[in-house]
Amino acid sequence: MSGKMCSSSNSVVQAQKLVDQLRVEANMERIKISLTAADLVKYCQDHRRSDPLLTGIAASSNPYKDKKSCVLL
Amino acid sequence: MCDQTFMAATFGPCDSCGKTGPLMNIYIKNEPVNYCSFCVEVMAYRGLQKGETLETLRQESDTLKKKLEEERGKLNDVELHQVAEKIEVVGALSIKTRRVLKGHGNKVLCMDWCKDKRRLVSSSQDGKVIVWDGFTLNKENGVSLPCTWVMACAYAPSGCAVALGDGLDNKCSVIPLSLDKNENLATKKKSVAMHTNYVSGCTFTSSDMQILTSSGDGSCALWDVESGQLLQSFHGHTADVLSLDLSPSETGNTFVSGGCDKKSCVWDMRSGQNIQTFENHESDINCVKYYPSGDAFASASDDATCRLYDLRADREVAIYQKDSIIFGASSVDFSLSGRLLFAGYNDYSINVWDVLKVTRVSILFGHENRISRVCVSPDGTALCSASWDHTLRIWA
Repeated sequence: MSGKMCSSSNSVVQAQKLVDQLRVEANMERIKISLTAADLVKYCQDHRRSDPLLTGIAASSNPYKDKKSCVLL
Repeated sequence: MCDQTFMAATFGPCDSCGKTGPLMNIYIKNEPVNYCSFCVEVMAYRGLQKGETLETLRQESDTLKKKLEEERGKLNDVELHQVAEKIEVVGALSIKTRRVLKGHGNKVLCMDWCKDKRRLVSSSQDGKVIVWDGFTLNKENGVSLPCTWVMACAYAPSGCAVALGDGLDNKCSVIPLSLDKNENLATKKKSVAMHTNYVSGCTFTSSDMQILTSSGDGSCALWDVESGQLLQSFHGHTADVLSLDLSPSETGNTFVSGGCDKKSCVWDMRSGQNIQTFENHESDINCVKYYPSGDAFASASDDATCRLYDLRADREVAIYQKDSIIFGASSVDFSLSGRLLFAGYNDYSINVWDVLKVTRVSILFGHENRISRVCVSPDGTALCSASWDHTLRIWA
């Protein structure tokens, strides 16, 4: 269901809520992308080694990969 | 507020004038009241400041929207992939199907991992909910439910219970898990949440005590599991909410939701306030997922794109799309470091994207029908995908 709001501009209650919401959002503190993107990159680089799907871990320590020899439990 | 969802849901005496008729369910300071549409308009006009009319409000909202666009535009000094140019490319991935979980008799609609990194729960259109051991393929628990539309399931942080979202009776229930295989778990089902339309998503918060739900009635809600009491409700979407995700950051008390109104909203859990809204997608948003650091989130949509939004810059920073991808994306999840984005599509494949360089790294083939959900295990060693082909696959 993705129907358009037919009465969003008709009802006063809804218009008031929209204005209040926009006021809140417009007053938000924003940071430049050059800084925030650098943080995202830094996070990825810092955690790169501990990401098994990215760097791949040895078959012996990955419980899902088939081991070469039998393991006696 | 959405007229289409709330219209004529209730019929009876108006809380304000007493006349019997179709009532609008509205919220005044988070208290639900039922007013007939005439009283709603009267109350609204009384609430206007001196000199304000519908027209002035509309103009103000237009100017505010333009101001928001300008403010967001000022921050766009560089693109994400430009910042990421210096880092090395992702090497060839050796991800393959390692396990195929067979046992469901119909489309698998949802799945979730347990914090112990090996168990997972899945729900299907055949009414069955199964708890699997991912290593051994053992089916630890199975519950058969009378309804056939368990659209959402979630594992409790303790691993002792699962929450199920129902598409037919509009409830979210919690079932405690037991070690006894013979116990009929369906009898211990406890209803927690009640919506006026299908429950599309559910998740436990930091403990087993509270659950957060999203619903086709356009709202999200926070519930106390023990008493079933509604703790907070979140209104702002103008159509069905299809997905939600809790912020992973310890200080964060926020969650993000996405829905059929093409909007994704970030909410403050304590106040119920909508903090940020993003309207970039061109079609329904099927899934939203936070970046591991909590500073960004990704969304998957029927417009065949996935997008990354930076919360501190308050804007979209990347679009993951290709001309060759024309089918909608149904689900996304990040790898542990946040470098990879796994996205399941309606063309039966899973695309693996390099989040920072905004390129596609790999495609995972194997499923024979639409992917309904992809989820990375808590320790990042594996990816589980649930599909309409009745199976789940574990990739590692």
